[in-house]
Amino acid sequence: MRSGVFKETIGEQINLTDSWHVRGWTIALVLALIVLPFYLNAFYLSLLTLMAITMVGALGLNVLTGWTGLISLGQAGFMVLGAYAYAIPTALYGWDPLVGLLLAGLVPAVASLVVGIPSLRLTGLYLAITTLAFAFIINHLVLDFDGLTRGARGIFVNRPEILGISFQNDAAFALLCIGVAAAALLATLNIRRSRIGRAFVAVRDNDTAARVMGVNLHAYKLFAFVTSSFIVGIAGALYGMFLSFVTVEGFPFLLSIEALAILIVGGVGTALGAVLGTIFVVLIPEFANILFGLLGDEFARSLSTGAHELKSMLYGVVIIAFLRFQPHGLVGLWRDVKRAWVNWPLRY
Amino acid sequence: MSYLIELSISGLAIGAIYGLIAMSFAVIFKATGIVNFAQGEISMIIAYVAWTISSYVDGNPFLVALGAVVFAIAFGLLIERLVIRPMIGEPLFATIMVTIGLAVILRSSVVFLWDAYPHALDIGLGRGIVEVAGARMRTGQIAVLVLLILTMIGFFAFFRYSRFGVAMRAVASDDRTALLMGVSAARVQSVAWAAAAVISGIAGVLFAIVYELSPSMFALGLKAFPATIVGGLDSVIGSAFGGLVIGGIENLTGGYISPAIKEVAGFVIIIVILMVRPFGLFGEKRIERV
Repeated sequence: MRSGVFKETIGEQINLTDSWHVRGWTIALVLALIVLPFYLNAFYLSLLTLMAITMVGALGLNVLTGWTGLISLGQAGFMVLGAYAYAIPTALYGWDPLVGLLLAGLVPAVASLVVGIPSLRLTGLYLAITTLAFAFIINHLVLDFDGLTRGARGIFVNRPEILGISFQNDAAFALLCIGVAAAALLATLNIRRSRIGRAFVAVRDNDTAARVMGVNLHAYKLFAFVTSSFIVGIAGALYGMFLSFVTVEGFPFLLSIEALAILIVGGVGTALGAVLGTIFVVLIPEFANILFGLLGDEFARSLSTGAHELKSMLYGVVIIAFLRFQPHGLVGLWRDVKRAWVNWPLRY
Repeated sequence: MSYLIELSISGLAIGAIYGLIAMSFAVIFKATGIVNFAQGEISMIIAYVAWTISSYVDGNPFLVALGAVVFAIAFGLLIERLVIRPMIGEPLFATIMVTIGLAVILRSSVVFLWDAYPHALDIGLGRGIVEVAGARMRTGQIAVLVLLILTMIGFFAFFRYSRFGVAMRAVASDDRTALLMGVSAARVQSVAWAAAAVISGIAGVLFAIVYELSPSMFALGLKAFPATIVGGLDSVIGSAFGGLVIGGIENLTGGYISPAIKEVAGFVIIIVILMVRPFGLFGEKRIERV
């Protein structure tokens, strides 16, 4: 039985991990994820790609909602901006996809300042409402400026070719998405353990106390907004490539709910939670299909007409059930299991 | 000139519907301190139930109204008991998310329980056309305005003079002290939810009579947000006025500038107002103590 972990320097304290087991398993997982796309069939490959893209978005929202405690219902709005910021220069003007991806991050980041600055005076509820309003305004602006965005007709987007490597085929595109997801994970984990990340968490836990300790509330809240929407914008661009067609309808309000559901299911305020939550939530429709398949063909067919509704209903049920019965999410569950395993047969 | 009058009058009519829903936001916020993101969905469900009732009783308006009110009370109490009561004492984030989850469930259950097509709720009333100040209005639109004013007066009197209304204000201003004074906060909360369900149910049914009944009716809740923000989340009467203001502005911008702006006018107003006065135009400024 382990009796405790002793850390003597701040470096050890903020290390991502201190265990060789974790490092070993991480390397194994990375290798598996590199090899996996070449062996999966088209269906599982698209599921894996979707998971990677959703993970990027969830990690982005986690910076804002999980760490800084600012509730955002505008996720879909930032994703739309990112998708268009990528699609317009690359598909219509033939710019380099790499520049497109950079713009997909920068444009939402700048736009987030527009929401971020009024939000400095708002808390909780009011912020949720403002971000909701922002998402609606973005959608209507996109539809209205049809000279630039082609309005409701949408823009076709090809899979990119970056630095001479073509991501045309599905396996390569999946690898690109997994790569971006890994980069986002590393980036957010590193932000979390830096001075900035500690300031974010201080703002979330008690903003008055944080301010007394010398944390500049305005600067850090805006920084959280900018970082979060940069990452979310890139997720939007990837999602646009995944759909190979960018329209406002491709990014429904449900995406904002889905992102919040992911954070809640995984456990608010941890990067691991965002990862676990993504896997769980992306698989929900598949679980539902299997479950309803067991109930008989007739039933499954009647449900397939309302697949979109069923999916959103399940999101709702999952959100409420987790908040009610497991407020710490899957991460909390995992922590409990681990503790029970280490301490057995003692209770603590 | 007559164009202006016509626009403003129909704007006021739709604004009255926003106002009713905005009032129910404010009632719940005042009593419990949470915003119910599912209010538009609740009003849609009640309208659908009223439609079902009307098809059984051949559109008898009294039976439909009675059935809808009874259902609204039961529905409000049920939601409060099942979903909201267990969340007392949880952080704000969790409670908001519960109402958002509820909204998503209710929104999609309409498609499952009824269908995805628009319907007309016909109870033989509210469709006649009257001429008011040179503009033509449906009697239903006038009914909404009258009902809004009646509800406003009713709430004003309720909060001012009734024992329970005072208890509600007490819970809103300081729930612990209210508990010590013998006010049952749980009962205040359930009454607030039932009352909010009834008011938004009235709005939903009237909307279905005057315009149409469809699964996209939940957007009424989103449109009522600006109204509540204009009025201040904790001001019931202010929210009702906010509804009229938003309805008028929406229609005027839609008529004079462009129909696309009409849809977002309310949301632009939200952002502008929150920038200038973070607690709404008539909301009380909260002073935080640490």
